Amino acid sequence: MATIAARLERRRGGWDFSHTAFLAAAAVLGLMVTVPLLWILVASMHADHDNRLTLANFVEVFSQSIYLHPIWNSLVLATLVALVACAIGTLLALAISRTDMPGRSLIRALVFAAFVTPSFLGATAWIFLAAPNSGWLNRGWVALAGTAHGPFNIYSLGGAIFVIALYSYPYVFAFVSSALELVPSEMESTAALLGANWFHTATRITLPLVRPAIIAGALVSFLEALAEFGTPAFLLIPARQQVITTQLYLFFQFPTHPNLAAAYAIPLLLVTASLFYVQQLLLRRGRFTTVGGKGGIRRPFRLGRWRWPVAVLCGIPPLLSLILPYGALLGTSLSRAWGRGPVPPNLTVDWYRWAFANLGARHAIQHSLIYGAAAAAIATALALFVAYAVSRRLVPGAQLLGFVATAPFVIPGIVLAIGFFAAYARPPLVLYGTAWMLIVAFATRFLPIAYAGIQAALRTIDLELEHAARTLGAAPLRTFASITLPLLRRTVLVNWLLVFIPSLRELSCAVFLFTPATAVMSTLIFDLSDAGNFEPVSTLGILMMVLTLGLVAIAYRIFGGSPLVPHQRA
Amino acid sequence: MSELAHRRDEADGSEKITRRGLLRKGAEIGLGALAGTLAYSSGALTAPAGGIALDEAALYAEAKKEGKVVWWTAHYQLSAAETVRDAFVAKYPGIEVQFIRQTAQVVYQRLTQNLKAGVREVDVFASTDEAHYVTLKRQDVFAAYTPLGVENLPPTFRRIDPDNTYHVGALGFVVLNYNSKVTTPPQRWTDLLEGKWRGHITLGHPGFSGYVGNWVVAMWDKYGWDFFVNLNKNNPKIGRSINDTVTDIISGERVVGAGPENFSLESKAKGNFIDIQWPADDAILIVSPVAILKDAPHPNAARLFESFFYTTEYSTALTKTFNYPLRTDVPSASGLAIDRVKWYRNKVERLDTGIPDAIKKWRETFGV
Repeated sequence: MATIAARLERRRGGWDFSHTAFLAAAAVLGLMVTVPLLWILVASMHADHDNRLTLANFVEVFSQSIYLHPIWNSLVLATLVALVACAIGTLLALAISRTDMPGRSLIRALVFAAFVTPSFLGATAWIFLAAPNSGWLNRGWVALAGTAHGPFNIYSLGGAIFVIALYSYPYVFAFVSSALELVPSEMESTAALLGANWFHTATRITLPLVRPAIIAGALVSFLEALAEFGTPAFLLIPARQQVITTQLYLFFQFPTHPNLAAAYAIPLLLVTASLFYVQQLLLRRGRFTTVGGKGGIRRPFRLGRWRWPVAVLCGIPPLLSLILPYGALLGTSLSRAWGRGPVPPNLTVDWYRWAFANLGARHAIQHSLIYGAAAAAIATALALFVAYAVSRRLVPGAQLLGFVATAPFVIPGIVLAIGFFAAYARPPLVLYGTAWMLIVAFATRFLPIAYAGIQAALRTIDLELEHAARTLGAAPLRTFASITLPLLRRTVLVNWLLVFIPSLRELSCAVFLFTPATAVMSTLIFDLSDAGNFEPVSTLGILMMVLTLGLVAIAYRIFGGSPLVPHQRA
Repeated sequence: MSELAHRRDEADGSEKITRRGLLRKGAEIGLGALAGTLAYSSGALTAPAGGIALDEAALYAEAKKEGKVVWWTAHYQLSAAETVRDAFVAKYPGIEVQFIRQTAQVVYQRLTQNLKAGVREVDVFASTDEAHYVTLKRQDVFAAYTPLGVENLPPTFRRIDPDNTYHVGALGFVVLNYNSKVTTPPQRWTDLLEGKWRGHITLGHPGFSGYVGNWVVAMWDKYGWDFFVNLNKNNPKIGRSINDTVTDIISGERVVGAGPENFSLESKAKGNFIDIQWPADDAILIVSPVAILKDAPHPNAARLFESFFYTTEYSTALTKTFNYPLRTDVPSASGLAIDRVKWYRNKVERLDTGIPDAIKKWRETFGV
């Protein structure tokens, strides 16, 4: 009896420990998000010219049409990107996870490869392909159809939506397909037995079951599009349109208005807050528990004569996001002068030799890999803690932590960078000049991705499993470690990758925070593209892609499958 | 030599050259120091052997103790900055050059952030916007220094700051650039207003590019703002960087532009269909200063590096990468000596308020 009592006592001690752990997570989160945000808030309320306390910045940015118009453009852009990305991502996830469509593994791999591509690289490639006069697709059209002009104009709002959506839909795909893997097909089978066709089954049963994942994917795509700087700068300036991020960039031009920029960025937080609220409202309306103690069977839906048409349809997004753009980049990387096109006398492999021999390029590649991996580890661990604390209401105020973890995504990288610089280039915590500046900035920027993904997965785990453990006397942390974590093993890996990959391609933060000793691949690529050197840009883009995919393949070998690769089940 | 061949040389030979250079220069310095000591002890006032003047040698010795110099530059493209770095390291082995090449606004923004945060990082600051220097000088950020050999500059460009806190570090021009398949390119800026260029013009954005801002102010002062109202009728394509005009021209997206002479010539040398036309109504000269920070972590290396700007090696490195040499004894890539170019230069006090005003008016006229 005494030993049992002692053991219970020890277990009760676990309560304190879990509190400590979550408090530590909250402190780290505070340093990553709250402190830089407070700096931005303080800046927004001070005049740029004399540093006086004032609200004039807000009046200025919200009374002039040149500042209001970009906000409208950003909202239109982000909403349409989210819709397009949701449609494509969900369709592909359904087809790949739930049907017997041919070529599933191939399309899954291609979707993943699209995810690796930074959208500013995609935008560059799409300029080669679909610029109104010089785009190869337009030239081909003119040559074939004999018209004066081709049909495509990438320099348009539609063009920017198209390009950003092409590199955002993999988020939706990843969330939805990982949720689908947890949904047993019993209910679908029942629907089929009751005479529903596949369309009805998908729209009435399957999709509503994975609604949290679709909403999380839409949220991430929306915020990604809102914070995107490279693609709007490349495609929308020629279209004579400004968005919030390009306007923010202009505020930082000489003579700079960083405080005005801070004021301009703050309403974005209101947008996050309301989005977050809307997400909560939407999810409150139903129960989405799909993983219970009872095992489920997943059976693919037979498409019959629709197998090949569906496969062709699902091949279109990877064709547009991957095959055509990388074809263009490959052609350019093998050209002496890209303006002459990939014709025999213009072909060369010298740019690849350059990339391997150039010390700067080699260091940048190493830095990208190391910083990305470290940032992903920090963000995933933190997201796991916070999402668990929020969903199981372990500590008072956990909801607030969840909000803090989601906030960084709507802070454009440039603004986050300014907040980081203000906070961590001075004592007591000097990170500037060290690798940690970039690692923590990357971890902060992409924390919401890991958080949204893990939170969506947690929602699908039935509490009865954890309750069983708790009933048997396990402390919350023990329950977490031996029940929840193993169930989430693959989710954790996926979310690590979902942070690692965007960290590899992160630009808008890195470009302000790097020093010569901490340059990364994206900053090198941007430096080169800023000077119009498209041949080495394409070369580095191709190398970055090959390298990332190689590493990810190794990661899969070590850790097992993922929703992005067909799942092996016993 | 083409840009490509140049890059290849750099890539294949950099280590070799450096090591060989190190040995050779090391020997020279050893001999020079020895000769200097001998000459000094024997009371002779002859210059030491090895071609290194005593001032320079002393500076080099001090700089070597500091070991490196941190240089932030917007002056020219990455390949040019790399070539300048390599030339410096070849001349002065033992001093590492750490540099960032970014646009003028970005280096300026980063410097002001550093100053606010009290971070001492950068030694040599090289922006393309003269107004940055006026502002920073007012804040007492720069150290006054007269670089060795600064008298090698053409007289017009000497002592742009009477207090010697900054000096001319690079020269660039905004010119008419065009696709070389065009037989009759525009000869003057005002030719761009002709109807035949409708839908064929490419421009940068004054909010993103200091070169473009400079050009806009110059055109505004020469021809009034109506120039831009009329230019807009020709529906120019607007990019960000002035280099975007080169990209548009070589891809065939657009035919003529207001672009940089250096990057246009570099692209031409690579084999792209592009050329430049010196405008009859003046190329717009952009003077890019260079300065040493007061709290530079490596003050002697900074002085040595700034002095290097007035050597033949520096001008040769610039010419190799199609930028204008600072010295008239080094031939320019365009074949036109700097004193034969017909140029116009904005007054720095005009740029101070002119560029922000120009950006505002630009947004009204072009909508972006």
